[in-house]
Amino acid sequence: MTLIEILALFGIGLTAGVLAGLLGIGGGVLMVPAMVLITAFDQHVAQGTSLLVIIPAAAFGSFTHHRHGRLALRDAAALAVGGVVGALLGSVTALSLDEDLLRRLFAILLLGIAARMLLTRRRAAEPVDAKPT
Amino acid sequence: MPHMVSSLDHPNPFILALIGLAAGVLSGLFGVGGGIIMVPAMVMLAGMAQGRASATSLASIVPIAAVGAFVFGRSDSVDLPAAAVLMVGSLIGVQVGAWLMPRIGDDRLRIGFAIFMIGIAVTMLIS
Repeated sequence: MTLIEILALFGIGLTAGVLAGLLGIGGGVLMVPAMVLITAFDQHVAQGTSLLVIIPAAAFGSFTHHRHGRLALRDAAALAVGGVVGALLGSVTALSLDEDLLRRLFAILLLGIAARMLLTRRRAAEPVDAKPT
Repeated sequence: MPHMVSSLDHPNPFILALIGLAAGVLSGLFGVGGGIIMVPAMVMLAGMAQGRASATSLASIVPIAAVGAFVFGRSDSVDLPAAAVLMVGSLIGVQVGAWLMPRIGDDRLRIGFAIFMIGIAVTMLIS
């Protein structure tokens, strides 16, 4: 890695983190296109790297929630049972797809998220750790 | 008063597993967490409150992303040094974003960013 690449990746991580905290959307959605368009990563490598970066961020966030008694571990375990099977299917499928096709599919996902952001107002103004009712 | 999660009001685990399955596919396919579909699905299909749904989905993202990262890693599709630099940046960024949100988190920001994302998507489609 060159110094320029290190600075670019640090900036991407920082920006993705700020926007994730600010908009309540995950960092992966922001990091993947940035790695592809700014640091010219292959779509597959951008996605695989994003998945690794998400792990400590999610672990840190859920630990904070757990300390505040907001986390239902039993429900998280039920989600994870289906989730790991899905993750296996999804990642094997992604790796079998051509890079250009995967990048275009990702672009369609972005369009869907942008549409949802335009349609659901006011969510961003709610505190992240809003108390469950 | 924070509401402690009681053992009496857990949603159907079968429905949660199906929601997790869909989120896992999305996560593995696109290198994202999957919270985008998990949180609204948990609110709408499992009747969970928004705050509890996002906390719970975040915990399930840990094993989901770990499986994806492992599969991509086996195919040499994970850049470890890049991941380390991104982690440092994003952990700082999340703190800054959480601090900024009550100050500037409003609809204009959200709409502005959604339009920016449409621009990114179009660039990715034509590049």
